[in-house]
Amino acid sequence: MNVGVAHSEVNPNTRVMSSRGMWLTYALGVSMLHVVLLSIPFFSVPVAWTLTNVIHNLGMYVFLHAVKGTPFETPDQGKARLLTHWEQLDYGVQFTSSRKFFTISPIILYFLASFYTKYDPTHFILNTTSLLTVLIPKLPQLHGVRIFGINKY
Amino acid sequence: LNHIVHNGGLYKRPFNEAFEETPMLVAVLTYVGYGVLTLFGYLRDFMRQWKIEKCQNATEREEQKDFVPLYQDFENFYNRNLYMRIRDSWNRPICSVPGAKVDMMERVSHDYNWTFTYTGRVIKDIINMGSYNYLGFAQKAGACQEAAARVLSQYGAGVCSTRQEMGNFDKHEELEKLVARFLGVESAMAYGMGFATNSMNIPALVGKGCLILSDELNHASLVLGARLSGATIRIFKHNNMQSLEKLLKDAIVHGQPRTRRPWKKILILVEGIYSMEGSIVRLPEVIALKKKYKSYLYLDEAHSIGALGPNGRGVVDYFGLSPEDVDVMMGTFTKSFGAAGGYIGGKKELIDYLRTHSHSAVYATSMSPPVVEQIITSMKCIMGEDGTTVGKARVQQLAENTRYFRRRLKEMGFIIYGNEDSPVVPLMLYMPAKIGAFGREMLKRNIGVVVVGFPATPIIESRARFCLSAAHTKEMLDTALKEINEVGDLLQLKYSRHRLVPLLDRPFDETTYEETED
Repeated sequence: MNVGVAHSEVNPNTRVMSSRGMWLTYALGVSMLHVVLLSIPFFSVPVAWTLTNVIHNLGMYVFLHAVKGTPFETPDQGKARLLTHWEQLDYGVQFTSSRKFFTISPIILYFLASFYTKYDPTHFILNTTSLLTVLIPKLPQLHGVRIFGINKY
Repeated sequence: LNHIVHNGGLYKRPFNEAFEETPMLVAVLTYVGYGVLTLFGYLRDFMRQWKIEKCQNATEREEQKDFVPLYQDFENFYNRNLYMRIRDSWNRPICSVPGAKVDMMERVSHDYNWTFTYTGRVIKDIINMGSYNYLGFAQKAGACQEAAARVLSQYGAGVCSTRQEMGNFDKHEELEKLVARFLGVESAMAYGMGFATNSMNIPALVGKGCLILSDELNHASLVLGARLSGATIRIFKHNNMQSLEKLLKDAIVHGQPRTRRPWKKILILVEGIYSMEGSIVRLPEVIALKKKYKSYLYLDEAHSIGALGPNGRGVVDYFGLSPEDVDVMMGTFTKSFGAAGGYIGGKKELIDYLRTHSHSAVYATSMSPPVVEQIITSMKCIMGEDGTTVGKARVQQLAENTRYFRRRLKEMGFIIYGNEDSPVVPLMLYMPAKIGAFGREMLKRNIGVVVVGFPATPIIESRARFCLSAAHTKEMLDTALKEINEVGDLLQLKYSRHRLVPLLDRPFDETTYEETED
């Protein structure tokens, strides 16, 4: 099972997020997470929403912006080894539909969380910082940028 | 959806190709499956790093841990966490000729596929649905084998030279004349390795300043050859003639990227049968486009030579076209002729040029004489020149087997990709666990299949690939179909939503017709 034996798609990672059913699976996954958090008896509704938002953004940061490279060897001689998954999406082309979807979904989650926490100040600070950690790496200006050399190699 | 195309008289017969879309529920469950496997992979990696679990992979020594890492950990993630678990479905050692039935060495693993040990038992008479044995010439007895044995005792096994030096036998010349006659071209040249035929000859044909238009799903040999040549490569959607025409128009209108000069050559790279999809190239349309935009066509008939067409002459014969329309006809002897190697056929000037300028011709060792004799005998058999009708019977048997097998699988409700006439039958599995399960269950029932998953295919399109053969009798196919039916019920693989109602038993008259249940 090797990449590139029977097709010329050099890096299959670029196509994963736009394949059929991925967005639906992602939405279902987030709802499942939220339902699980809501069912824990000692979390009130605002706490459950803030936790959903924070855990979702943490997961998104780790898998899209922290982990670099591909989990399989690609025939492109390591061009994508130092790129995070977000930077690999669609071979670096900006403003494609998957990129727009995954930029908008944390924002929607943020709106919902702000509503259900009734704009409480502590929750607001937590939600906003968490949203910023996941929105700033998605800016096209930060494509390939590693601040202070963190996560460079 | 079935696309039946009658394209302005270009096609003389209906072209039925279907790639049913993945059902949404199945796609979601597939992603969940890969997600769970990924999370467990991270967990196991964590346990291996903290020495809770023994690490079976190659690691650096303790003293080297502070240096720059020697091994790329993450690129091996998929290999050690997903592939290792189901690795027993691949690289199975066989110990007999890979005909319609094959013997296999039994092996077990006591540490979850990290190491294998042979039990010593040989599993006999496994129905072989994985070998590219389209016309059944992989035999250990028969006219081909006797001829090859005779040539072996006369010429020996090795050649010890390249074609240009001392390795040009009269057998090679005989083979090349025969191949040219078989294909209907002026001249042909044969090489020792099919992959090397593509990767070493495309650089000899095109170079910098040329344009290559290559299909999305072309084989690694074509991709490597295209990259080695230094030409600009543009990829069109699989078998999509509108995409190809758009690329041709853009290329001719805009020329080369910065300088806007016209392209020196435009070469279209397509394959006859795509082995992962089972689809056949839309050759009449490609040739019409090629003539309209004055480009060249390179047709790789690795899987289709011998397997398609009423006379077994490949995809050109299947569509009833003239071989002169295809500029470079390439193919391999590995699949339908039971030998090894590749050939290129075309005009005499082209082949003479390749004899001196191709790396394969100049540097690679020439083909071994017994292999050459196997090809000569099998090709004469297909052409009918050995005085029997065995070749014709084989070609017809393969076509019947293909139609029967595909129809039965569709009736059972599996999702099958590809053209109705292609002997390569991909059966969709989709979920990662089913890949391993299908391979193992079929082996338990004495049927050998090839399964393939991500990343060799798109993430939601893992499949099992059956290669039919003229050597399969109807009883073997029925046994295989019965077992596939059982395994399909066990693993719930019958995803298709377009069920074909089985053909009625009474003879055809004006009042009976096929119905499709939706």
